[in-house]
Amino acid sequence: MSLLDILLSALRGVLANKMRSILTMLGVLIGVASVILLLAVGNGSAATIRESIAALGTDTVTVRASSTGGGGGPGATATEGSTVKEITVDVSDKLSDAGLGHVSAVVPQVSTSLTVSSTASSSDSVSIIGTSSDYFDVSTAEVGTGESFTEDDVASAAKVAVIGSELATTLFPTGSALGESITVDGTPLTIVGVLATQSSTGTDDPNTVVIAPISRIQRSFTGFGAVSSLLVQATSSDDVAAAEGEIGVMLDQFLGVGVDDTAPYTITNQTSLLETEAASADSFTVLLGAVAAISLLVGGIGVTNVMLVSVTERTREIGIRKALGATRGAILGQFLAEAATLTLVGGLLGVAVALIGATFEINGTMPVVLDYSIPLALGVSVAIGVFFGVYPAGRAAAMRPIQALRAV
Amino acid sequence: MSTVPASGDAAVARESGAVAGPSAQPVLELVDIQQIYGTGDAAVHALRGINLAVAAGDYVAIMGPSGSGKSTLMNLLGCLDIASSGVYSLAGNDVATLDEGQLAVVRNREIGFIFQSFNLVPRMSAVANVELPLVYGGVKRAERRRRALDALGMVGLGHRANHQPQELSGGQQQRVAIARALVTNPTLVLADEPTGNLDSESTEEILAIFDTLADAGRTIVIITHEQHVAERAHRVLSVSDGLIVSDRVSRKEVFA
Ligand SMILES: Nc1ncnc2c1ncn2[C@@H]1O[C@H](COP(=O)(O)OP(=O)(O)OP(=O)(O)O)[C@@H](O)[C@H]1O
Ligand SMILES: [Mg+2]
Repeated sequence: MSLLDILLSALRGVLANKMRSILTMLGVLIGVASVILLLAVGNGSAATIRESIAALGTDTVTVRASSTGGGGGPGATATEGSTVKEITVDVSDKLSDAGLGHVSAVVPQVSTSLTVSSTASSSDSVSIIGTSSDYFDVSTAEVGTGESFTEDDVASAAKVAVIGSELATTLFPTGSALGESITVDGTPLTIVGVLATQSSTGTDDPNTVVIAPISRIQRSFTGFGAVSSLLVQATSSDDVAAAEGEIGVMLDQFLGVGVDDTAPYTITNQTSLLETEAASADSFTVLLGAVAAISLLVGGIGVTNVMLVSVTERTREIGIRKALGATRGAILGQFLAEAATLTLVGGLLGVAVALIGATFEINGTMPVVLDYSIPLALGVSVAIGVFFGVYPAGRAAAMRPIQALRAV
Repeated sequence: MSTVPASGDAAVARESGAVAGPSAQPVLELVDIQQIYGTGDAAVHALRGINLAVAAGDYVAIMGPSGSGKSTLMNLLGCLDIASSGVYSLAGNDVATLDEGQLAVVRNREIGFIFQSFNLVPRMSAVANVELPLVYGGVKRAERRRRALDALGMVGLGHRANHQPQELSGGQQQRVAIARALVTNPTLVLADEPTGNLDSESTEEILAIFDTLADAGRTIVIITHEQHVAERAHRVLSVSDGLIVSDRVSRKEVFA
C-alpha cells in the first residue's frame, strides 16, 4: 500500500462520514483557538504593564517623609526628647553634594492641592508640585512645548510654571497656554512650558499637574518646612538597590536618626509596586492558561469521543479489510492518516481563528499571541486526536479478522 | 477477463484433474480440528473433530443443517479464525506457525473469501470495494481499476461500479463480494453460501464462473443449502453437529 494510497483512503474516510469529520474538526478547532487566544489575552495585559514600568523609569527611588515622625504606636516611648530632624530642601541639597557613588541626582518635591484658574476657566483640587529644575531630567515628565523653568528660576523663586497638557486645554480651551498667566490661590504664575501628554500610571494624573519652582511653592503656599518627598535617581537601573542603601545611611546621619529611632521616612523603589502588578498579571496569564488547558482537554475529550465511537463503529470494517489481506500496519496507517488529517485541518483552522481573533481588542487589552502557544495547542490536540484515533484502531487490527467482523 | 487464465491453461488444468484426480499433495489438510466458543457451561462445541484433506484443483461443496458448524469451518479454512485445537495445514504449512504478516499475505494472495453476509465496506463504491484486495496486494492504481472493473463486468455489475453497497440489492451486493473475492486470482476460493441471495438466473451465472475456475485448476470450497448447487461440485461433504458425516463424489462426477 503506497503512501498515496494511504492518504487517498484517509481522505475518502474523512469524506465518507462528513458529520463525524466536522465534529472532530470543530472540537480541535475550539480547543486550539481558545488556548492560543486566552494565552494571548493574558500575555497582552502583562505586556501593557511591562510598558508602564518602562514608562515610569526604572532607575528612580522615592523618599517619602512619614507623616508621624516617630511612628511609635500609642504608649510607645515618648518622642519629645527625639532630636530627629525633618527632610528639608537643605537636606536634599546636602544629599546632592554628598558625592554618593550610585546617586546621580536628588530632586526635592513639595506638593499640595489647590484651585487653579485662568481668565477663561478654573479647575479645583489641582495637584501642585514644587520642585527643582532637575525634575524634568529625573522623572518621566517631559516638556512638550515651551521650556522647563531653570535653576535661576528656582533660586529667585520666580513666578513661573509648567503645566500638564490636559490642564492646559481645560484652562485655555481656545489657544496656546504658553506665556499665559494662571492664578494659583491668588498667586499669578506665568506658564513657560506644557508637558507632553503621558499615559497615567501612578496615582497622580501627570496631565493635570502644575509644576513650579520649589522655592515659589514654599514661599506662597506650603512654607519652608519639610518637603513631601525626594526623587532620587540612581546611576543606572541596576544600581537602584545600592542607591537606596546610600541614601538611607546619609539621611539617617543628616537627620540624626539614632539606632533606637524609627526613621521619619520611607524609601520606595518606583518599580516595586508595578512589579507586584506585573506578577499578578503573570498569575492572571497562568490562570487563563489553566482555563485554556481545560478547554483543550474538553476539546480533546470531544475528539476522543468521536474517534472512539467511529473506530468502534468501524471495527467491522477493520475485520473486512483484514480478511482481504490488510496487515496491521496498513490499517494503522489508514487510521493514523485519517486522524491526522482531521485534527490537523481542525487545528490549523483553530490557529487561523485565533490569529484573526487576536487582532481585536478583547476586554480592554490587545491580545499578544505567544509564539509557543501555537505549536503547543496544535501539538497537544493533534496528539490527542491521533492517539485516540489510532489506539483503538490498533486494538481492533490486532484481533483475528473474525473477531473484528463479529463486533457490532 | 483477467480473473480467469487463458483457455490454454484451463485445458491443461482440466486434463490433469481428469486424469490424475486430486493430486497427492493436499492444499488443505485438517487433522482433528475442534472449535469451542465460550467457556464453562456456556461453551459451544461448534466443531468436534474435523479431519479433511482437499487436493489442489478440487471443487468441494459443504452441506448441512443450520448451526452445524459450516461457517465456523469455513472461517478456519480462510485463516480468519484460529482453531481451539487440531492442526490445519495450508499448502503443507501449519498455519499456527505463520505470523501476522504471513497470514495477511495468505489471505490476500492465496484465498478469495466470499462471506455469507457479503461484508462490503459501507460508504465505498462497488469498484473501490473490489479494488481493496489489490490495494493491499500492492497493485498499481491504473491496473487495479482495470482489474476491478473486469471482475465487476464478469459478475454482470459493470454498470453499477460507482454505486455504494447500500444502493445495491442483496443479490447485487453478493455479486460485488464475489467479484472482490475473485479479483486477485486466488488459488483457493472459499464461498459461504454465495448464491443464497440470488435468483436462479444469477445463481446459474455465478456457478458458471465457479465451473470455469474449477476447470482452470482453482481449488474451490463452497457452502450451500441447495442440492443442485452442491451437485455442480466434484465432491460433497455433509456436516452435522460439528462433524463430517458423509463425504461423497458428486452426481455430476459420477455421471461424467
Ligand atoms: N462467535 C460465536 N460464539 C459462540 N457461538 C458461536 C459463534 N459462532 C458460531 N457459534 C455457534 O457455533 C455453531 C455453528 O455455527 P456456524 O455459524 O458455523 O453454523 P452454520 O453451519 O454456518 O449455520 P448456517 O447454515 O445457519 O449459516 C452454532 O451453534 C453457533 O451458535
Ligand atoms: Mg453459516
